[in-house]
Parts: sequence; structure tokens; C-alpha cells
Amino acid sequence: MAEYSLRYPSVSDSEERMLDDLDKIVCENEIEAATAQPLKLAVSEAFTNALIHGNRQDCRKLIRIDLRVNECEVTADIADQGHGGLKQVLNRRPPAPLAENGRGIDLIRHTTTAATFWENESGGLVVSIRLKRNVKSGVNG
Amino acid sequence: MDIRTREEGSVTVLYLKGRLDLASGATLKEEVKKLFAKGCTQIHLNLAEVEFINSSGLGSLVSVMKEVRLLKGRLTLSNLASYVQEIFDITQLSHIFEVFPTEEDALVSSQSVSVV
Repeated sequence: MAEYSLRYPSVSDSEERMLDDLDKIVCENEIEAATAQPLKLAVSEAFTNALIHGNRQDCRKLIRIDLRVNECEVTADIADQGHGGLKQVLNRRPPAPLAENGRGIDLIRHTTTAATFWENESGGLVVSIRLKRNVKSGVNG
Repeated sequence: MDIRTREEGSVTVLYLKGRLDLASGATLKEEVKKLFAKGCTQIHLNLAEVEFINSSGLGSLVSVMKEVRLLKGRLTLSNLASYVQEIFDITQLSHIFEVFPTEEDALVSSQSVSVV
């Protein structure tokens, strides 16, 4: 099993670095496209949620991604250093058709085998995702 | 993300290449604003080389579409990769946008609308 611990400051530039790092992990582990695409999407959505809502783009706060890859599945935990994020997720309403945001949580749920949202000891929101590997369609589950 | 443009009659075609996410979505909105300033309100986005899109990228497309509608223009999309199309379907945005299989289909449609 391969394990990765990634840390990013909560600035908008971090998104591209994170996606570049994910691309390298996908390549290193030869993760098939049917798993890589939903993995990148789900991690990206959780990352953006952490950046914007959890850490409120406070450059002093970090976004943590802990990722594990084996031949059967990929799992990841994406954590922010904010407060109250879990309540926001649990109380969220579906976005209006022409809303410009608010689709991230639904995309995480639709594209992963399993996704859970919980609060760590520090009060930060953790998004834990799991994707089973060797799925032929682009949508996991 | 790279953005290349060309004019096809009254339609401005934008070719997007790379990731469409939070940062590049903002870039797209800025590029489209420049087109609006020049009076271009018929816009077609060719997404053939978009390798990744997330909800932030979708949000930027929705934002562009709303601006085009306010200006009584038209926005069309084409050449969505199957994975991108799935994301549009999951979020039901495939009902909101005019999506064509190819750029040619979209441009022919624009000509038909112009004639009418």
C-alpha cells in the first residue's frame, strides 16, 4: 500500500499544486482512469470546500490530505482547520438550478463508493472518501 | 488553462485546454467579459481539451451563461468528454446548457437561429 500525507496553505494557488500532486500519485500507482477521474474530482471538491468554507482562505490554516492506495481501493481524508463545517454540510440545501456554487458535496457523494463527513478533535471538518478500483464507468460506486 | 479564440461569423468560439476549476474558471469569466465589452454575445465553448472540471468550473460556466442571457446572447458548448458529460448529467446542468456533440453542430444551429 502507498500512503501520502499532503499539506497545503489555504490560498487559491494551492488548488493547482494539489491537482498536480494528485496527477503524480495517479501516475506512480498506475491508477486506472475509471478510478482516477472520480478520485481527482472528489478530492478537489473536498479541497475547495476546505479552502473556501472551512479555512476561509486564511493562509495560516492548512488543508490536509491523507491518501492511501492499494490494488483494491483508494481512500482519502481531506481535513480543514476551521469550525462548524460539519453543521454546514448536514444542514445544506440542494443548489438552485442556476446557482454558481453548492454542487460539490453532491458530486462527492455521487462519484465515490463511500463518503463520510465528520469533525476531528480540533473541530475541523474531515471528508473521508473511498473508491473501489477496477470500475469501468467514470462514475464510481 | 489555455484559451484560444476565433471568430466564426457572428459567433466567437473559445477553445479551452486543461483544467476548468476555481482559478481557471475565474480566468474564463475574465476572458468572456472582454468579449462582452467588444459586443460579442454569441459564444461557443469547445471543451474537447478540457481534461478536468469540478463544481467551481461548472460554476464559472453557469456565471457566463447568466451573463450571456442578460445580454440576450447565446452560449453553446460542444465536444464534452464522456467524463465531463457525466458530471453535467449528475448536476443536471445538461438541462440548462445547450450542448452539442461537435462544434460544427453548434455553429450550424447558430446559423439556423440567425436565419429565423
